[in-house]
Amino acid sequence: MNSETLNTLDSYSKNKYKYGFVTEIDEEKPKKGLNEDIIKFISSKKNEPDWMLEWRLKAFSKWKKMKEPKWANLNFPEIDYQDIYYYSAPKGFDKKPKDLSEVDPKLIETYNKLGIPLEEQKVLAGVAVDVVFDSVSVATTYKGELEKLGIIFCSIGEAIQKHPDLIKKYLGSVIPAGDHSFSALNSAVFTDGSFVYIPEGIKCPMELSTYFRINAENTGQFERTLIIADKGSYVSYLEGCTAPKRDDNQLHAANVELIALEDAEIKYSTVQNWYPGDEDGKGGIYNFVTKRGLCAGKNSKISWTQVETGSAITWKYPSCILKGDNSIGEFYSVAITNNFQQADTGTKMTHIGKNTKSKIISKGISLGKSQNTYRGEVSFLRKAEKARNYTQCDSLLVGNQCGAHTVPYIDSKNNTAVIEHEASTSKINEDQLYYCRQRGLSHEEAVSLIVNGFCKQVLQELPMEFAVEAQKLVSISLEGSVG
Amino acid sequence: MNIQDNYLKNSNNIFFSQNKEVQNHREKLIYNFENDSFDRKNNESLKNVNPKNFIDFKYKYLIPEETSVINNNHENSYSIVSVNGQCSSFKDDKIEISKILVEDYNDFTKNDTIDKNDHFVNLNSLFLNSGFKIVIKKNNNIKIKISNIITDDDLTTFQKNNYICEEGSSLNLIEEYENKNNSTSNILNVIKLEKNSHLNHFLIQDNSPNHSLIVTSHSSCKKNSTYNQKVYNFSEGYVRNFHYSELVETNSEVDLQGVFFLKDNNTSNNKTFVKHLAEDCKSNQVYKGILNDRAKATYFSNTHVDQVAQKTEGYQLSKGILLSDNATYFSKPELKIYADDVKCSHGSTIGPIDENAIFYLRSRGMSKIAATKILISSFINEELSSIDNEQMSEIIQKKLVRYLSKVK
Repeated sequence: MNSETLNTLDSYSKNKYKYGFVTEIDEEKPKKGLNEDIIKFISSKKNEPDWMLEWRLKAFSKWKKMKEPKWANLNFPEIDYQDIYYYSAPKGFDKKPKDLSEVDPKLIETYNKLGIPLEEQKVLAGVAVDVVFDSVSVATTYKGELEKLGIIFCSIGEAIQKHPDLIKKYLGSVIPAGDHSFSALNSAVFTDGSFVYIPEGIKCPMELSTYFRINAENTGQFERTLIIADKGSYVSYLEGCTAPKRDDNQLHAANVELIALEDAEIKYSTVQNWYPGDEDGKGGIYNFVTKRGLCAGKNSKISWTQVETGSAITWKYPSCILKGDNSIGEFYSVAITNNFQQADTGTKMTHIGKNTKSKIISKGISLGKSQNTYRGEVSFLRKAEKARNYTQCDSLLVGNQCGAHTVPYIDSKNNTAVIEHEASTSKINEDQLYYCRQRGLSHEEAVSLIVNGFCKQVLQELPMEFAVEAQKLVSISLEGSVG
Repeated sequence: MNIQDNYLKNSNNIFFSQNKEVQNHREKLIYNFENDSFDRKNNESLKNVNPKNFIDFKYKYLIPEETSVINNNHENSYSIVSVNGQCSSFKDDKIEISKILVEDYNDFTKNDTIDKNDHFVNLNSLFLNSGFKIVIKKNNNIKIKISNIITDDDLTTFQKNNYICEEGSSLNLIEEYENKNNSTSNILNVIKLEKNSHLNHFLIQDNSPNHSLIVTSHSSCKKNSTYNQKVYNFSEGYVRNFHYSELVETNSEVDLQGVFFLKDNNTSNNKTFVKHLAEDCKSNQVYKGILNDRAKATYFSNTHVDQVAQKTEGYQLSKGILLSDNATYFSKPELKIYADDVKCSHGSTIGPIDENAIFYLRSRGMSKIAATKILISSFINEELSSIDNEQMSEIIQKKLVRYLSKVK
């Protein structure tokens, strides 16, 4: 990166989100507030069967009795659940930019920096999707190929209509509606999300991603994703994108459930880059996500990889329940917080079966006035014989006004299980910095290089093209705060 | 009996119960105890503890008839016998030991520990019925041994001791808790280390199965002072060791270490908390535990580094060995860091004895039990070999042998 690029980026980062979308007033949009009527409204809008409505209402009645979990190291004003729209219809085509020339040029610039292909840029910038997809032959080809293999990949709304058996069997089986208040809220009002079913013995030939899902026009603030990998199958799923995502919804409470049956493997990668609020900490998205995977069968494997750079508040603990014998859970995470961002993220590995293994690698980087917390729980239940866990969480602090915290919970009830946990916190090594500077890199470039090296262990777990973008994203996230 | 009845019926032998200010403070505490719904998830002092046990207990306290003895064995060496948490006054040019005085109410009733929600500390300030104050005078180097004795069954002692090490003083403090009766002791030590002072604090805990011991300490270290604490827990009854430490001025150091040996149905809760509030300070927290049968243990360790505390070094280590299928160990090593120029780390392991090591020893002709015992001894050898007092080292070795004899 030359200094000119840095300057451009710097000015970009200061002007970020200046042209945020204006909330539209649409006739389809019901009133603000959460009550049974709104849930009935959502359910009827989606033409849902009665059992689904019942399921939602049950979740809502549970939510009413619940309080928000308060153990996280986060500070935010109380959420007024009655001041939120719970259903927003897709935006009309006439309100959308017709092509990229109407999109904020600064945004396009970042897309180019990240190396995002032109067609994808259109999707990201919100150019009327259907028009785009007509010309994107890749997406339609992919869809045909998936159908041939018997892979179901559609929106959750469509799955409720077309595959009620699978939904009835698996929805809420990993994250029960009454698990905590955000999961109950999501269960009551979820509007969209993905559904994936991989049949027995099928290895999904490509990375599934929301880009290829034609119906996924508006993923919505209460997203619900359900992925089922049947015996011996394999799937890699990508969520989110490295490009900055503009969104008018302040509260996000998504639920993601993964189920891996015998010998199946699911790889779930996320890059989250939502609006983090401005330099003074105003605005920004509150992201309260519940992600949980169940290794139900023997020899199954679930692997989570996440890169978290956006959102004013990140509350996210992708976890694995290792129920089947010999099952494996993995968690790789990079969380970068800048300005006034707060992140409380980590994982939960529950070892139930014999010979289960889990591995946690977490890298936290705090800059500016942000707070970054790793919170993880590893527990070995009584029957988890010869189970094994390795945890490593490292934090890097840049500047003396930020905070880095590590809060692991380790619980062992089995005497043959082995747990190892290590963590360290430090600032950027002066010697490394000096070495880079000596070779002609600017301070900012040097820091970016070192931080990228610090995250490498995690970034290399991402699918190839994602990894390249993610590396650039890490550099961009550090802009304007170093030096 | 509920907490309010307990208090009202026994206020005659609880300290400062006539003081208006203290009364108000205690009323608030009672109110909290009765109305708090006891959030067990978010309160570390309640992990593995049933709140009912400390809300519904039977209060009983006897003021000791015999006043305790203070011997000046050799020069610079004192031995104190504290009976039911009390000891008599003593004064010479090096040391001053005094009972709790009415005007000291402020020092003895407020919760000066870092965790204001620690229920056992609040219980201590509510029912305070014993304790003393020891001042080590400037530039003196002395040794003290305290034997804590409880005279009767079913006693509930709530004891608070204040230690003050004046400038340049150095103290070697050994505390012994060996009781065979069914009583409960709730002890809070508040330790103040002035400039250039040093304190080596050893706690040897070896109680019978029905004796519950709750030890909490709060130390604060000023410039260039050091506080080293070593806890040896061989008790067969419940023991809680919660030790808080604050490094308030530069270049101070704190080292909190502990080992515990549990068996049968025994439970032990442990916590260390170090708060770095000044630059250039060091801290170390190491706990090691061996759990057999159905034993349960928890260990919370915390390093909190304030924004101003640059150049901090803070280390934590927690190791646990589970010898049986039914033993459980919970550990939560926490780091909270608000300064950037720091070196902080923690490590935590829980597991069985290394099978390869057992195999190595067995292939050299050792029986499995003998091999296990050797490996347990070596696991905690570091903690035991660092004792420079020969007599104490011998006592601890004996206790270890006793524990190992029960290992099968």
